[in-house]
Amino acid sequence: MASVVSSVIPRGQVDLVDFVDWSGVECLNQTTSHPLANALKQGYRDDDGLHLESDADEQLLIYVPFTQVIKLHSAVITGPEEEGPKTVKLFANKEHMGFSNVNDYPPSDSLNLSPDNLKGMPVMLKYVKFQNVRSLTIFIEDNQADGDVTKVQKIALFGTTVDTTNMKDLKKIEEH
Amino acid sequence: MVLEATMICIDNSEWMRNGDYSPSRFQAQADAINLICGAKTQSNPENTVGVLTMAGKGVRVLVTPTSDLGKILACLHGLDIGCEMNLTAGIQVAQLALKHRQNKKQKQRIIVFAGSPIKYEKKTLEAIGRKLKKNSVALDVVDFGESDDGKTEKLETLVAAVNNNDNSHIVHVSPGPNALSDVLISTPIFSGDGEGGSGFAAAAAAASAGGVSGFDFGVDPNLDPELALALRISMEEERARQEAAAKKAAEEAAKEEKGGEQASSSHDTTMSEAVNTSAVVADDKRQNLTDVEAALLEQALAMSMDGAKSSSVDMIDADMSDATAEDPELAYALKMSVQESAGDSSTHSGMSKVLEDQSFVSSVLNSLPGVDPNDPSLKDFLASLQDQSETQQKQKEDSPEKDGDK
Repeated sequence: MASVVSSVIPRGQVDLVDFVDWSGVECLNQTTSHPLANALKQGYRDDDGLHLESDADEQLLIYVPFTQVIKLHSAVITGPEEEGPKTVKLFANKEHMGFSNVNDYPPSDSLNLSPDNLKGMPVMLKYVKFQNVRSLTIFIEDNQADGDVTKVQKIALFGTTVDTTNMKDLKKIEEH
Repeated sequence: MVLEATMICIDNSEWMRNGDYSPSRFQAQADAINLICGAKTQSNPENTVGVLTMAGKGVRVLVTPTSDLGKILACLHGLDIGCEMNLTAGIQVAQLALKHRQNKKQKQRIIVFAGSPIKYEKKTLEAIGRKLKKNSVALDVVDFGESDDGKTEKLETLVAAVNNNDNSHIVHVSPGPNALSDVLISTPIFSGDGEGGSGFAAAAAAASAGGVSGFDFGVDPNLDPELALALRISMEEERARQEAAAKKAAEEAAKEEKGGEQASSSHDTTMSEAVNTSAVVADDKRQNLTDVEAALLEQALAMSMDGAKSSSVDMIDADMSDATAEDPELAYALKMSVQESAGDSSTHSGMSKVLEDQSFVSSVLNSLPGVDPNDPSLKDFLASLQDQSETQQKQKEDSPEKDGDK
């Protein structure tokens, strides 16, 4: 597999994987052998052998709550060329959506991933729509080859936290 | 202990009037539902159960998922039977009811009672199944009542489409003596996903099976450990007492035999006593012996009662195991006492007559333990006995007034 371009983190942005509330993370229509953790969690997502796979059909619905309010700037979604996701819709602050009401609300942003994106190029999001995000719902509607199974290698989210008070930082300042 | 929200879909179509499940299909269904609700709420207090009917005027939700068992049981009263069951609509409504459950952390499960024929295509059912799987809803199907061609297959495909990691099951219940609820208790529908029988299920099984619970004394050690323990101890004591009684009787029989030799009481009496004792012992033992042993014992007793057969002594040897079966001294003592009696036969005329009957003597000796009829010394003795008795007879005939022989 071609070396994945290690995503250059845009200036000022932080990888939000540290702010994910893992107890509330949910994924509908995943196979039990290839769960969401393979794509989201640090370490797992960089492992080429582990990926997230859809089960009954090609759609996936991922719900990611955060431990604090964040602003979402960009995202990196990688996957295989054929079975990687194509149309991805993002919903901010919509809890417990199901496949039935996914089309009832307009998405906060809708992405159409290109093969470059699938290789690791970050996708810029409509920043203004993601200013005050407590939870994010990612709806993967179909895949590149329009097959029955969608595979996702990695999902990484970049942005900043709204509440920038970090206790460690505070201490450092005090030490000055 | 899985945290679960369950929707139960009741079939209240016209087919439920049938009585091939006692008392009627509908009643059997209601009983089963009662038990399921109880089991779910007991396995985890935060579990919720809801009920809807699929037939009648249309799909109607009787109670949304709640943990209040009383509410659920109350709504089962006064249900009407009629029309046809709408399976697809029923499942969809159940799915919707589960989607709007209060506690989103609960897993979703639908339990369908399918008693009437299924008019849908396999493909439709398969599509529904996949949709359920996509939304991570588990499905349990109880296939009972009508069993027309294809119904079983259709339901199997439905469950197979939903099944994700063995979370969905299908149970086929054919009409028979067993109640619907009894059959269901032992299925995974009750015991959850591979958790094994919950305590509720086990207790319910014991109660509904009417005491035939497979436990030792019809008492569940879980329910009443003291009673079970007391029963077991008394049973063991009884068994020990019977064995002791049997042993004691056998010992007494052996003692009486020995006493019979030393005293000059008639062998007849001894024999009868021995027979009586052996009968008593046999009675005691009969209770404890297996069928095979009992048959052997009776056979042996019959032989000793007849007193006319010269069969092996081993049978009775086995009975009088405590007796001195192998004791050569016993045999010798026997001979001595017999000889003495023979010697004193002048004073005991009755005895001589008894001894004259050689067949009787040989049978007596045969039935006594420790006496081998093939023993050469014994044979000589018998021969001599016969001679003596003949001599006695002659003498008696010659001079009845004269004493004795020798």
